Formats: sequence, structure tokens, C-alpha cells
Amino acid sequence: MNLHTKVVPHPMPAKAGIGLRAPHMAEIMARRPEVGWLEVHAENYMGHGPAFRALERLRANYPLSLHGVGLSLGGADGIDDAHLARLKRLADCLEPFLISEHLSWSDVDGVYLNDLMPLPYTEETLELVVQHVDLVQARLGRRILIENPSAYLRFRHSQIPEAEFLANLTMRTGCGLLCDVNNIYVSARNLAFDPLAYLATLPAAAIGEFHLAGHQVNQLGEGVMLVDDHASAVAEAVWTLHGEALRRFGRRPTLIEWDSQLPALALLTAEAEKADHLATQLTLETGDVQAA
Amino acid sequence: MSRLRELQCGIGRAILGKDEASIIEAITGDGLDPSARLNVYRNHYSASLGEALKATFPVVCRLVDPKFFAYAASEFIKASPPRQVCLFEYGEDFPDFLAGFPACASLAYLPDVARLEWLINAALHSPAQDPLEAGDLAHLDSADYPGLIFALQPSLRLIESVWPIDRIWHLNRPGAADESTIDLAAGGCRLEIRQLGEDVIFRGLEASDFALRAALTSGRTLEAAIGAALALNPEFDSAHGLRRLFAEGLVVGFTLAPSRQPAQE
Repeated sequence: MNLHTKVVPHPMPAKAGIGLRAPHMAEIMARRPEVGWLEVHAENYMGHGPAFRALERLRANYPLSLHGVGLSLGGADGIDDAHLARLKRLADCLEPFLISEHLSWSDVDGVYLNDLMPLPYTEETLELVVQHVDLVQARLGRRILIENPSAYLRFRHSQIPEAEFLANLTMRTGCGLLCDVNNIYVSARNLAFDPLAYLATLPAAAIGEFHLAGHQVNQLGEGVMLVDDHASAVAEAVWTLHGEALRRFGRRPTLIEWDSQLPALALLTAEAEKADHLATQLTLETGDVQAA
Repeated sequence: MSRLRELQCGIGRAILGKDEASIIEAITGDGLDPSARLNVYRNHYSASLGEALKATFPVVCRLVDPKFFAYAASEFIKASPPRQVCLFEYGEDFPDFLAGFPACASLAYLPDVARLEWLINAALHSPAQDPLEAGDLAHLDSADYPGLIFALQPSLRLIESVWPIDRIWHLNRPGAADESTIDLAAGGCRLEIRQLGEDVIFRGLEASDFALRAALTSGRTLEAAIGAALALNPEFDSAHGLRRLFAEGLVVGFTLAPSRQPAQE
């Protein structure tokens, strides 16, 4: 019934991947489109039902990345041991080439807020996140990538710029970074910082993955609030910023995320091709041969 | 309490109960109202959980219409914020909430339809285990049979309702176009829900078969389960009922009741 054949983990994929969402599963199983790899939200597969079994079959054809949304690495209440055990079990079954989580928190007093909540960037927070990333990496027995969140507010007592906080975190724990270019753009607009200075602060060697996604622009009184809703194509300004990231860091596994108002699969794969095209063009320009 | 924990408790209160007094000062405006900044998180919290409930209870949503469903879901989210990380595990107490929700008291069958949808969701997120064959019991002494406790497929769920929830579900499932009406007085049903291949199916069971399977899923011995079936139907063919359990691939393990275990040598 279940296939327990060991599949050798795939090497770093050369083409961009897509976030795999349930409504596309049947078509991907049937058509096996030419995308470089697939990323899934780990929490959606922790029941080990039919969707998990489909993923077990797909991993023979595609490198797989597990993207966690629920570990709450910045949660003051600590890491939920049972949840970490479920993640470990999933990783053992699926042998993903990447595992990532977020610089955020999501639960307090036993209530799960179902979101990537913002952290104040202080020494206290850094100590806590370092402890938690150490714990997770030790339990999983491997390096994880930490993603920069999209932010809608900043805390008055935040002392460390986010990019510097992430650089410190990689130095202290050896974790890698998932550089979400759309999130940088969204946060920079919402919190009025310079996205290029942000990119310049990130440690290039630690970048293990790029995320690209669409966002929504909302008028809010006199101001504008960008919301990272993953409900549309990647914005032109984000492609431009991604070009800067490619010039600076070189090619890395790149993912198109689209979570609501899902498009036809063909449109999603076309976005992935666009990312490949941009990466090829820019890495040729800069003579970067360390292409993944 | 650490400063970070204090802040997170305050944010939690602001998201769940709109009480933002303790933390609003901690948020910079940067040209916008800090409360409007918090609203992005508040909106995402209620909208994403509302969507999750809609995905788990599509038939309930169709029965009450999406606007009313959104209202009921938002009231439920206030009453029962999620305590589980995996979204597919959220909503188990939504059927009970609906049963006590005055605004849908006229739809007496609604909570049971919701229970059926929850069980379908639970079956969909259960692992499948390799089934045993009847021959796997061959080494047992027949005197041990009464004390057998079976482990059944993790996806197996059972529900009994005084309403025809199977017909209500079929006529209102996503994509259903059948406009025929349902006679609510037609009587209830006993349903078995389980994975079959990569799908979840459900079907009606006879009272005695239902009693047998219900007793086994609750961990009772084979003797007690057969007793429960016979109590409803003295003609119940227990050997046949048992063979069907194996033929349908439902038995995945067994143990002997403690009092029946042979003494250790």
C-alpha cells in the first residue's frame, strides 16, 4: 500500500519551482508539468492521508521542499514539542531538499493565531529565536532556512534592523535564509525602509532560497498598506527587486507562491519560467557561474 | 513574565478580543493609525479561519447560505479560537456550536450534517494501514476469539442520526445539481465513513452491523461487539459480519483483552 522505497534526495534544482496547493494536485499528478521543484506547507500533510500519499509519489519526479508555517520560532511560550515531532516525521518520510520556517510567532497561551505574527527585534528576541532554531535543527538533524516575514507594523522598542537580526541569527545558529523578495518589498513599503539596503545587509552565503509572490495594494486613510496575500501574479516592482537580489546573491532555488484565487496551473508555471528567464539573463550579465 | 511574552499576550488579546489598550503604545504609526496596522492581522485571523471552516463544512455552508455561514463561523471563531497548529484539525466542535446557536435552531438536522462533514474531514486526514487477512488469526486458539480486540483502519468513522443526513449531504454537496426534495420524516441513518483508495466514501449500515463496528472502534472485545449486534438482531450472522470486516480491509491489528491473555510462562 504505502511505498517505502527510499528515493535519493534530489540535488539542487536548476529550474524555479511552484508552491503545490491542493486544487492543483490532481493535474500535477496527471500531467507532471516541467517545473523545477515543488514546495508544500508542511502542516497540510501532517495527517498522512491521501494528500500525503500523493506527495510521496510526486517526490519521485520532483525535488520537494517543506515549508513550515506553525513552529512559532519567536513564540515566548516555546516550541510545541509534539508539533516538532510531527514535522520530523514528515521530513523523515519525504526527505525534502529544503526545510524552511519563518521569523515570526503564532501562538500564545495555547491559542494559535494562524498567522505569522511580527516580533520586536531585540537582544531578548534574538536569544530566544537562536535557542529555538538550535533546538529545531538539532531535532531535525539538518540545517533549516528562515524566511523574512511580511510586516504591517513595527514595535517601538525594536532596536535591530530585521536584515541585521537575520544575519546575526545565521551566524549564531548556522541556519540559512529564505529570502522572500515580495515580503521585503511589502515590508519596505509598509514600514518605510530601503529594500536595497536590506538586501545589502543579508549575508549572501546564507541565502538558500528565494520566494516570489503577488501582493495587494490597499488604500488606508491617507496612506497605503500592501498586503502579502499571494493572490495574484508577481508585481513588476518585485521582479525588479528580485533582479537586484539575483545580481547580489546569484542564482538560488526560486519559488512562485500563489495561495488564494489560484490561477490555472499553466499560469503558475509561466511565472516560474519567467523567474528562470530573469535568472539566466542576469547571471549571464554578471558572469555568475555558481548557478545552482 | 518576560517582556516578549507580555507583548505577545497583549497582541493575542488584541487579535482575539479587540482589547488593544495594553499594546497600542508599543506600535509605531509611521504615518498610519497603529490600530489600522493591527487590523491587518485581525482581518487575516478571522478571514483565514472562516475560509478553513467553509472548506471543511461546504454542505452546511450551502444549506444556510454563505452569508449566514460567515456569520456563524465568525461567532464560532470568537467562542472557540484554534488550539491546534494544523488547520485541518480546527472545527471539531463547530457541530456542537451550531446545535446551540439560536439563529439556526429551526434547522434541527444541521448539527448532524456538520458532524458528518467533520468525520469526512477527519477520515481524509487519517493514515491508511496495511490490512490483515483472516488467515493472520490462524495461529490463535479459537478459545481466544471472544477476547480479541481489533484495531480498525484509522480513517473509519461511524455516525448515527435521526435525520436522513446521507441524502441531505448528497443533494447539497459541492457541485450537486439535483433539485429533488428530501422528506425529513423519512427517518434517520447509520453511516460508516472511511477512506477507499484515495477517496473518502460513506454508506449506510444495518443496525446490527453498525453496532458491531461501533463496539469494535470503541475498543470493545469481539465477544462484546457480537453481543451488541445480536441484541439488535438475534439473527445476526456474526461469522459473516466478521468476514466482511476482513474482506473490506478494515482490520489492521489485534490484541487480546487483558483478562484473556494467556499466563506468561
